[in-house]
Amino acid sequence: MSQLLQSLVDALSAGATLGLAALAIGLVFGVIRLANFATGEIITAGAYTLIFTWQLGWYISIPFAIIVAVLLSLLMELSVFSRMRAATPATLLIASFGLSFLLQRVYELAFTNNVQTAPVASELAQSISIGGVRIQMLSVATILLAALLLTGLQLFLTRTSLGLQLKAAAADFKTARLIGIPASRVIGLSFALSGILAAAVAFVTTVQTGAVGPTFGVPITILALVGAVIGGIDKISGALAGGFLVGFATSMLASWLPQDMSNFKDAYVFMLVIGVLLMRPQGLLIRGRGAVRT
Amino acid sequence: MSNADKGLSVVDLTVAYNGVPAVRGISLEVPAGQAIGLIGPNGAGKSSTLLSIMGAIPRGGTVLVDGIDIAGLPPEKVVRKGVSLVPEGRHVFAELTVMDNLRLGAVGRRDKSGYAEALENVLALFPILSEFSARQAGLLSGGQQQQLAIGRSLMADPDVLMLDEPSLGLSPTAVDAVFEALDVIRGLGKAVLVVEQRAEFTIAFCDRTYVLHDGEITLTLKPEDANNVDVLTQAYFG
Amino acid sequence: MAQKSLMWRLGPLWSLVSLLLIVYAVTLVNSRLGEGIQVQMRYALVNLVIVVALQMFIGTSGVLSFGHVAFVAVGAWTVGLLTIDPELKRNLLPDMFPFLFDVQAPWLVAVILGGLVGGLLAVIVGPFLMRLNGLQAGIATFALLGVVSQVLTYWSSIGPRSGQSMVGIPDVLDLQTTMLITLVIIVIAWLFQRTKPARLLRAAREDPIAAAASGINVVPQRVIAFAVSGVVAGVAGGMFALTNRVLQASQLGIELTFITLAMLVLGGVLSLSGAIVGALVFSLIDLVLVQLQSGVDIGSFVVSIPQGARPIVLALVLIGMLLWRPSGLTGGREFVWPFRKHAPLPGNPVTND
Repeated sequence: MSQLLQSLVDALSAGATLGLAALAIGLVFGVIRLANFATGEIITAGAYTLIFTWQLGWYISIPFAIIVAVLLSLLMELSVFSRMRAATPATLLIASFGLSFLLQRVYELAFTNNVQTAPVASELAQSISIGGVRIQMLSVATILLAALLLTGLQLFLTRTSLGLQLKAAAADFKTARLIGIPASRVIGLSFALSGILAAAVAFVTTVQTGAVGPTFGVPITILALVGAVIGGIDKISGALAGGFLVGFATSMLASWLPQDMSNFKDAYVFMLVIGVLLMRPQGLLIRGRGAVRT
Repeated sequence: MSNADKGLSVVDLTVAYNGVPAVRGISLEVPAGQAIGLIGPNGAGKSSTLLSIMGAIPRGGTVLVDGIDIAGLPPEKVVRKGVSLVPEGRHVFAELTVMDNLRLGAVGRRDKSGYAEALENVLALFPILSEFSARQAGLLSGGQQQQLAIGRSLMADPDVLMLDEPSLGLSPTAVDAVFEALDVIRGLGKAVLVVEQRAEFTIAFCDRTYVLHDGEITLTLKPEDANNVDVLTQAYFG
Repeated sequence: MAQKSLMWRLGPLWSLVSLLLIVYAVTLVNSRLGEGIQVQMRYALVNLVIVVALQMFIGTSGVLSFGHVAFVAVGAWTVGLLTIDPELKRNLLPDMFPFLFDVQAPWLVAVILGGLVGGLLAVIVGPFLMRLNGLQAGIATFALLGVVSQVLTYWSSIGPRSGQSMVGIPDVLDLQTTMLITLVIIVIAWLFQRTKPARLLRAAREDPIAAAASGINVVPQRVIAFAVSGVVAGVAGGMFALTNRVLQASQLGIELTFITLAMLVLGGVLSLSGAIVGALVFSLIDLVLVQLQSGVDIGSFVVSIPQGARPIVLALVLIGMLLWRPSGLTGGREFVWPFRKHAPLPGNPVTND
């Protein structure tokens, strides 16, 4: 029983992390049809920043990581994606692959292939015991952080004019422009928010591992991208739910599969993904047919 | 500026897709306080005309709004020059409330202070939107969504209102309601350009109706032509 | 009429001959430039065959695939298992199914079998994956690569334990043989382009609505293209195994997928010439960069670039290409009979650039 609860909390936390990462991808995709694989390198940039600046105090390190992530995200848009507005989603995805590969090599050149380490928020690495159930502090913190960010995002998207504009653009970019919503404003906004979410993902994953290398953000981005697509990358809520589902499933498989099979947990997740895509190619959360604009 | 300059003036407009011409040099006048129709069969280039005026697709030729050239502007800037398009198929933001849809329409206003008044006018014109203001737009009927789409465009306080097939998929009563509203809008001194498939109806309603055929204007009709079978046949079959 | 049909036959044949000549000439030049460059050229040809496989599928069907490296991987595995000495297998790969210890095949047979295993995998998964389009197809094929990578990494019944490599693959493939296999593959790819399934797919890619209206069901045609390109990718895997002679699943994953896709995009997705030109140009840039990394004497100066700059330049080339010439170096055209003005291959559009 206690083991079940423990694994449930862990799975919720893994789901929350991947949900945030998938949301970072989905927000941008909704507006310009870009599934940005290089989101992983934004996460890596945030993580490096945390590692290198943590000794200055969290109140400096965390804002600094957010700033770096947001700036890198905006830089990607300005230097590459803004020049590719006519490209298909497949071409945009390949371009983001290129960007991801490029940044990984730049990190390698700058910080070597070895991992950089620092005890980022090591207080959270402890576990606490509640009625015989050992629970990772970090898992609880991750779930709380995700809840906080999602609430904030929801308020922003529904209560502010700028948020409404973004929501409208994510739902129907063409119409949004036709009624006068400036394209550059909402696109920039989506990249900035994506950067903030990536910084949050960087924080929880860096606390977890305490070590960052050039390809730090890649595995999580692969799973987040896959999750976003099966949830329905066309809708913000779809991307979020899909990311959560993949994170939750991966963590549960890791906890409950026998040792010699748990090596294959990603393989099971990928097979699940293929199955979902075949049954609901438009995404789990998208109603009706043909809702996907590609 | 003289009153004659007010409205939309299109000179020698061309649109092409991958080198294939869709609109071949048409010229239109849509004066303030008038409704002008643009009819023609599918693929004649009607939607391309409207979208290119908005700057949503590339065009050749000149487009003047109240006498000012709007060359090279993207849609969001064209809206701020006083042109608004109610797109084909309405395209309200289905997951947002009616009020949020209207609020978004005001993003393109030139004069932000007039927001409250504009909202009041729109709700007076379409009382149903006031009643359902908190409802999700996707839950409205087709006719109500069309009213919302028009109201959303009016929130930007355009001088020129363009509508792409506003009667598409609507019941006869809903169509009547839409055109009654357009009559009021024309009466407010706005220039109205309506693209339609329903020839008779449009010709009778509009002050003037152009017939578009294969990217070219082949006829210009007056309201009294609406009952002239020969003219209508010619309009549709060349 | 007879004359016209002769032109129709000769024109495209010229595109094949010119491609074969280019590959032959580049290989010949590089073979004179020393041992190191010869080795690099062998890898370049292996990559070229992977890119040809990608083009046969992506270029023909218009469907994105991140999964072809999975076929490369199973092809490589097959060749590794069939060519390593049985004694060595028993010692180094102790967890394998016992029957695998004694299966052996001459290298050429092994490579052909590697191709067939790649094709078989494609035939098994094709009917499912080929129903998807666009981003969904990309993600599903990517998931296929993920599954295959995991299985090859961890399943020690068909290979090394995780973290270890498959070693002891014999050194039988020299540059000349590699080139001969490559030329054969190019001929196969060229012939495939002219088959009915390929022509139907190109028609459907250009005008999906018209194709659907005329009753073309693209799924079976796509499965055929997927399978044939899977065979070619499997052969490329076999060539990789014999060239690298050490196999680890991590070598045949996302990075190889990215690099080969980059080559295809560089040359132009829509034509076989694009695949070949892209792979060669990319490899030549790479070759120059490798030389520069170790320093090149120009007169009295030594020109060099820092270690690690090479992949950065390659990534920049890809991104720059996507920005400024998205239809690739060849613009999607095939090489044409030089005495006629640029005429596209029947069914291949001159794409917007």
